Amino acid sequence: MRPHVSVLRLPRGPDPNGRGFDPNSPRFIALCPTTISASTETGTDSVQIREEQRARSVLRESFLRTLIAMTNKQVQFHMYERVKVEAKFGASDIDVLNFQVSELHTPIGVQKEALLRCQDVISYSFDL
Amino acid sequence: MAMRQTPLTCSGHTRPVVDLAFSGITPYGYFLISACKDGKPMLRQGDTGDWIGTFLGHKGAVWGATLNNEATKAATAAADFTAKVWDAVTGDEVLTLAHKHIVKSVNFTQDSSCLLTGGNDKIIRIYDLNKPEAEPQEITGHTSAIKKALWCNNDTQILSAADDKTVRLWDRNSTEVVKQLSFDMSVSSMEYIPDGEVLVITYGKTIAFYNALSLDMIKTVDAPASIHSASLHPDKDFFVAGGDDFKLYKFDYGTKEELESYKGHFGPVHCVRFSPDGELYASGSEDGTLRLWQTAVGKTYGLWKCVLPVIGSRELEGKAANGGVGFGDDQ
Repeated sequence: MRPHVSVLRLPRGPDPNGRGFDPNSPRFIALCPTTISASTETGTDSVQIREEQRARSVLRESFLRTLIAMTNKQVQFHMYERVKVEAKFGASDIDVLNFQVSELHTPIGVQKEALLRCQDVISYSFDL
Repeated sequence: MAMRQTPLTCSGHTRPVVDLAFSGITPYGYFLISACKDGKPMLRQGDTGDWIGTFLGHKGAVWGATLNNEATKAATAAADFTAKVWDAVTGDEVLTLAHKHIVKSVNFTQDSSCLLTGGNDKIIRIYDLNKPEAEPQEITGHTSAIKKALWCNNDTQILSAADDKTVRLWDRNSTEVVKQLSFDMSVSSMEYIPDGEVLVITYGKTIAFYNALSLDMIKTVDAPASIHSASLHPDKDFFVAGGDDFKLYKFDYGTKEELESYKGHFGPVHCVRFSPDGELYASGSEDGTLRLWQTAVGKTYGLWKCVLPVIGSRELEGKAANGGVGFGDDQ
């Protein structure tokens, strides 16, 4: 009798309590329309929309440039549950879901390499 | 030593699974949608079969389901006389397109801008998804219920199969018939392969391959039982088929030789499709399940794990290999 191919586990079945489409899945977070809706709800004023879009582009570009400026610098992170940690910033993933850091100083010790979950971060600061 | 195929069973549906479709390969992998008579089409991760979500809204059996290439949109065709378009990321219903009879088939263009529908009212419709309130373009000619309507030739033409025992090729702009194939019996399924312009048609016990542009026949292969659906591997070396006898058959496309057959389903197989990377194929059955089958049995992929046997080990005799779980029944 020949052996069967092994499987790691069975495919996950439906959740009896919901219809699925987990809003915390990377795909959902990346592909869903922004939750910050345009300030002009009726959307008829195209000049205002263009202005707002320009502002968004400026803010986005500044944000991306801060990520570059932060590379290899000491950054202080303020997180939920009154957590304050400091680490050397490495990089962000493409969807800004995780920050890769080194020498993370935590109340219980220094972690050589770590990933910080961005949704847990309230703010962060660093010296230029 | 050859391993025995372990199909992965995806449960969740409560009625027969009548149609299934894969998306293209996206940055998040590829996806699978299943149409079921329970009215609740489901989206699954294509390589594992893991359930992602259920599209809720139809009030009748869902006969057809499809995804766009990026798996951002889904479309379904149902017995409640509607076709629906869904956001495949959130699961929200985006559009309901009312028809005058049961809708059987839905298909997106490559750019997802238009949706093709066909059903029991014998009319093929083209909806512009950017102007959904506009009246759809209608293509008439079939004299019986349409089973399947597909875009082809870079979305400039349409292929349709109906219960009037014909397969017709239409020009999208003129809405005229370009060519027609007639059969002695109803076509049970149709698959269009854009790369190489191949059309796979099943009827009776036959799986037939045609050139999708000229409708010239390439070859036909007969199976041991009545076939409901077949799919050609992206590399065009194999094709798989399933039907009335509950089994999945794998054939060599070049030699037409039957290579393998697999038992596993507890009811007739209604639909079978290869994944976009050709590593697995999915089948939907009257038994309410979908099963995923490996193209290369024993290879590590998705949830399947390759475990190399230890030479001389007694474990090779009649037991599942180290650390794994063995399931399924095959030859």
